[in-house]
Amino acid sequence: MTDVRGGAVWSPAVWRKTWGDQRVLVLALAALWGAFPWIYLWLSAQIAMPAFQNVLLQVIPEDWQKLSGVPFSEVATYAGRVALAFVDPVVVLAATVFGITRGSDAVSGQLERGTMEMVLSAPIRRTAVFLTQAAATIVAAAALSGVLLASVWTAVAFGPWAGKVEPWRFVPAAANVFGLMVCMAGIAACVSAADSHRWRTIGIMCGFYVTAILAKLVGRLSGTLGWVGYLSVLNAYEPQQLVGGGAAAWRLLVWYDCILLGLGLAAYLVGAVIFARRDLPAPL
Amino acid sequence: MIVSTEALTKRYGEFSALDGCSLEVRAGEIFGLLGPNGAGKTTLLRLLLGYLTPTSGRATVAGYDCATQSLEVRGSTAYLPGEARLFRRMDGRAVIAFFAGLRRECRRDVAVQVAYRLGLDCTRQVARMSTGMRQKLALAVVLATDVPLVILDEPTANLDPTARSTVLDLAREARAEGRTVIFSSHVLSEVEETCDRVTILRAGRVVHGQSIEDLRRGHRIHARLADAFPGVPAALAGRLTATAGADGRIVLETEEPLGPLFGWLATLPLAEVRVEPVGLQAVYDRFHSPAARSA
Repeated sequence: MTDVRGGAVWSPAVWRKTWGDQRVLVLALAALWGAFPWIYLWLSAQIAMPAFQNVLLQVIPEDWQKLSGVPFSEVATYAGRVALAFVDPVVVLAATVFGITRGSDAVSGQLERGTMEMVLSAPIRRTAVFLTQAAATIVAAAALSGVLLASVWTAVAFGPWAGKVEPWRFVPAAANVFGLMVCMAGIAACVSAADSHRWRTIGIMCGFYVTAILAKLVGRLSGTLGWVGYLSVLNAYEPQQLVGGGAAAWRLLVWYDCILLGLGLAAYLVGAVIFARRDLPAPL
Repeated sequence: MIVSTEALTKRYGEFSALDGCSLEVRAGEIFGLLGPNGAGKTTLLRLLLGYLTPTSGRATVAGYDCATQSLEVRGSTAYLPGEARLFRRMDGRAVIAFFAGLRRECRRDVAVQVAYRLGLDCTRQVARMSTGMRQKLALAVVLATDVPLVILDEPTANLDPTARSTVLDLAREARAEGRTVIFSSHVLSEVEETCDRVTILRAGRVVHGQSIEDLRRGHRIHARLADAFPGVPAALAGRLTATAGADGRIVLETEEPLGPLFGWLATLPLAEVRVEPVGLQAVYDRFHSPAARSA
């Protein structure tokens, strides 16, 4: 009587349902990230390069350089100014919100809504439900990173700074955004797998994110507490360091994305184990 | 036996949601599960489906262990949760298509037919459905799943009288097809009307099990005598219980044929007499009336 489809760790029905669930979020972020680089570059171009360099290199105290993660001399270039788009809240927060939203829905969201009950009454492994959703989220993150890259590429190639900077050098930065999305989604899914209330999962993840920001800032600004920075997952999100071009940028990307993707995928695997073993309470 | 549990127990710390539950469900019957809220009915069903891990004891469905072979158990089972919640963004057809895609035992055409019998408009989005309509949609999915065991947890809650009647018919039809139905409900009349056997739970324990056929044999006679009650004659002793009250009132209960009893009753100085079937309500009240709970 056992459905052979249930023995697999993949469910086409859950795959389709997950895409339906995340469709609005993905389309909204695609629209945002499709438009943002154009707007950002247009706004940036309103400040001429000599004026920007003057402010950055002569007005802002040199100590503040610690916060940027790269020397101000590198920021005060066309590539550096485009790179700032990748650390703008529109990109960083949207990537984080995507990860937390999708990850938190994986288990606790569906338990809270009560929709997990009937799905799991079918002969389908819990790991299949969890990992199929994870795959859909990761593919969506890759697609959104692609949209961001395409938009940055076209804005650089055809926008106000056309010809002043090579568009392809932003590929590692976009890949770093992808790493951040997968990392946040994986950790959120892991928390969700152990939880029964989505609001609590989101709360835990917000706390985690704020702690990561604070740890990164403390690590950057404090000489004696520099080690604290290594405790922050956001220490591996440095897209502004990845726009220099050449092999060095790719080597750095591999290092950063190994951390982010490694953490995200490991969290997904741990979450799958937790979900497979836990009790599923009746929805409230 | 398609379902069997042996001393099945689920504890949360000091609290026992289910305590040493042993019962058997025969293939091809409609098995009623009764008990108030918190009696352990849903916990039992969730243990059967592998949603919960038992603290101790064992349960099997279709020969598969519920704790270690949950996938096989769910391959043999269709389950309607107590409060079925479905995907709000989908319409009824999409929900049916989803479950038909999730498991091949769920027959899409049959689900549409069941939904039609229940009077459900499948083109409506779930978010715009009433609680009863969502219940009907979930029932259509569950009853269209071709598996040997159908578990219905309060299937008629939130339904209108016509749909309730159709659900009971569908449960009987499932039995006629050779399937087994576990029917958990608070509506005693429905259980009495539909089930072959019932089990009553109280505070996580099985306190009573009985076939409906036996139940229907049981009668209660309320009488008022013009004179003193002479007691039950030796010939009928053990075949009935008699409780004498004030004002010459007596209550007699029996599960035996009434013929011999009537002969004896005719010899008594009867001022009033009323005969009624014992019914499930009376049995249920033995365990769940306020007096029984405080005992």
